[in-house]
Amino acid sequence: MSDTSLSNMSRQPETPLPSPARWVRDNLFSSISNTLQTIFFSLIIFGLLRWVLGQVFSEESDWESVATNIRLLMTYNYPADQFVRIWVAAGTVFFAIGSSFAAWNINPAITIRRLVVGFVGFGVFLLLCAVIAPSVAPSSIRNGMYIVGAVLAVGGLVVRRLVPGAHLRFVPFSRLLTGAAAIIVALIWILPFGRHSFSDGELTIERGVSVASSTKVPWTVLFVVLLVAFFGGRVLAARFAPVMRRALIAWWVIGPAFVLFLVLRDPAFDWGRVWSVDVPIAAAFALGGGALLYVLARPGRDDLARVVGAVLVAFAIFNWIAAFAGWYPMLQKVRISFLLVGLVTLLVPTFAGERSARIRLATSWIGLIVVVHWLLTAINTESTLVISAPPFLGGLVLTVTIAYYVMLASFPLGVLLSLARTSKMPIFRVLSTSFIEVVRGVPLITVLFFFSIMLPLFLPRGMGISDLAAVFIGYTLFSAAYMAENLRGGLQSVRRGQYEASDALGLSTVQRTVFIVLPQALRVAIPNLVGQAIATFKETSLIAIVGGFDILRIANSTIPNQPDFLGQKRPALLFIALVYFVFTYSMSKSAQNLEKKLQAGQAR
Amino acid sequence: MTIADRALTEELAGRKDMIVCRGVKKWFGDFQALRGVDITVKDREVMVVLGPSGSGKSTLIRCINRLEAHQEGSIVVDGVELTNDLRNIEKIRSEVGMVFQQFNLFPHLTVLDNVTLAPIWVRKKPKAEAVAKAMELLERVGIPEQAAKFPGQLSGGQQQRVAIARSLAMEPRVMLFDEPTSALDPEMIKEVLDVMKELARSGMTMIVVTHEMGFAREVADRLVFMESGEIVEVGTPEHFFANPKEERTKLFLSQIL
Repeated sequence: MSDTSLSNMSRQPETPLPSPARWVRDNLFSSISNTLQTIFFSLIIFGLLRWVLGQVFSEESDWESVATNIRLLMTYNYPADQFVRIWVAAGTVFFAIGSSFAAWNINPAITIRRLVVGFVGFGVFLLLCAVIAPSVAPSSIRNGMYIVGAVLAVGGLVVRRLVPGAHLRFVPFSRLLTGAAAIIVALIWILPFGRHSFSDGELTIERGVSVASSTKVPWTVLFVVLLVAFFGGRVLAARFAPVMRRALIAWWVIGPAFVLFLVLRDPAFDWGRVWSVDVPIAAAFALGGGALLYVLARPGRDDLARVVGAVLVAFAIFNWIAAFAGWYPMLQKVRISFLLVGLVTLLVPTFAGERSARIRLATSWIGLIVVVHWLLTAINTESTLVISAPPFLGGLVLTVTIAYYVMLASFPLGVLLSLARTSKMPIFRVLSTSFIEVVRGVPLITVLFFFSIMLPLFLPRGMGISDLAAVFIGYTLFSAAYMAENLRGGLQSVRRGQYEASDALGLSTVQRTVFIVLPQALRVAIPNLVGQAIATFKETSLIAIVGGFDILRIANSTIPNQPDFLGQKRPALLFIALVYFVFTYSMSKSAQNLEKKLQAGQAR
Repeated sequence: MTIADRALTEELAGRKDMIVCRGVKKWFGDFQALRGVDITVKDREVMVVLGPSGSGKSTLIRCINRLEAHQEGSIVVDGVELTNDLRNIEKIRSEVGMVFQQFNLFPHLTVLDNVTLAPIWVRKKPKAEAVAKAMELLERVGIPEQAAKFPGQLSGGQQQRVAIARSLAMEPRVMLFDEPTSALDPEMIKEVLDVMKELARSGMTMIVVTHEMGFAREVADRLVFMESGEIVEVGTPEHFFANPKEERTKLFLSQIL
């Protein structure tokens, strides 16, 4: 609806810069005090850089420990013979990223000048590192830094000389993306990283060659997939952008769950049971619920829909009470489905309409039921993976998965909490406020302990929950409380006139909230929400305390316990610090882009 | 009573009542904003409400579509009485359009989405029909070429015309205008008033709170002068501008004209 392309907004030419010498004089040595400050802080920066380089090239740092354990750090115990599943999963993510760039026409073009400044800056930085690196640094690396640094710096200056009006000419994003992918792929094939492996207690290191083709080839394929998805997506987006966007949003919400439970976990479906039990239940809810929604969504049946919805929700809640009391058995997915059909029926008056709207409502319901039942069935089926040590997820994959799903699941919960807290109804306000204040008053570790140890005790007999799921639920609730507070700031910034205009048009409270208030509140809340997303990502390291093997725990305790690298913490910790930084920095960068884009969209 | 007044009274008496306020009282804390207002607006009538700031004229029309709740008296809109019953309120709101001083367009939606939102979700119109109607209305207020833009990219006058189109898209029986030109730069006032004049001529029932005397003189069937939460005087424009009865009315008009 409101997605007119705004890709050109960042394309204003930059003002020309003075020459580098002039810039240095004006900004760094303009007065005596400025000169003194420049010198003082430069010395501090040099000292810090020298210290970091000293850590990297220390005689005590054995980078073999990281090189050998890359696979452990990334995927923990995932069986090597099933590793293709990891690559397929990564492939779907790369594909979705590429097509999303295309579908939303994300186009952060930068000027040639800024590109050149970046190259020259990086080149100078490399030269500096080469000069001040400690003497233990291998000469091959030092010489490499000299050469690459010089090439980048000199090449950048030459380009700046040769290209007239570099501050006016833009490098298209497609070329940046292709260039970056090509450079990464070339580096993988050329750099003599060596081959490190650790299998059956045997450490083998082969120096002077590039990485094994079992690493090179999949990464190359991944980047090809990314580019194909991007360029193919651009062709499609020219005609089908709205459809693509809807499909991609759906993918980003449910796709990762399919990757996780179907590809990575590989459930061993008992097809006899699937066809005799699971499919009939799903079909009954899909068709029965669809028909019910279709009938109730006829304009003028609002009251009936509300009554039916309330009855269904009450019935669903009663089912759980019965489960705790042990009155009658019922499949968990049937209970969940009853709750879903009740909640959706309550929403029917908001989305009711003429025939096409009702058909859309019914088909959305069928889609929802299919997805939910497939996932529930997959989750409840044993995995076929043979894993030496139980958690099938670990390392960076665990960190990313937990962080992604906590953010995704806490979002709707946070929205509901913030709405309840700003609601006019005292009961909602009190409930929400006390939940938020209690959760915010408790450290995350406490919440995680509570859910991993206490939650299983409260469950009805015969109902189990994995450690990971318990942690996930606790973390989601925790995160939702913070999200609610961040959103409340956004809600309060929506001006009163917006409420009055919505009321004057006759919008219902739900419609006003969904169409008018929330979209505006979210925009205001973006910076805070991103801050929270980054915090969530970093704090996933706490799941180590309740038994998860995330990337930090592997670096901090698994690797230093391996016989070949006893006590070797430093390199692995430096490495994962870099990994965390890459993730969080790209999150904050893309959020800045999004913010700029949205602001340009509704400039006042 | 002048001849014009008598003629108008007879003409209006034949029409049905659109809005009937009886003894409407409203307090904000200790401050009484409305002190028992009695007024009847007939079908297809254009009524302009005048008065110094703080006289309760905005409060009165905001009570008519329940943006403010009155505490005593009764307000009946097109046969439906305004009570706390949510259903009545929603019904009346979809029959009564309102245009605000500050436009209050939805900044995150395009002009077209601003206009089609309520018809699609409140009136449950098919999208294509709503878009066609919206384009027709944007044509009527003279800015069809701005449909894909966001409100922030439009001038104040254009925004107010979009706001009028947005209200009209609900096909209301009554339109309320709350100082629609007060936030506009002088050169934009005319374009908005022209749209309102055209609307009045098309037979829309309108209550307009404004300080635009030219508009009042030209378009209004009746003028209402309010002060301190009370109606001081009601009459035709001829009556008001030629020989107002009340001293307070004379004083106000002498200050403003």
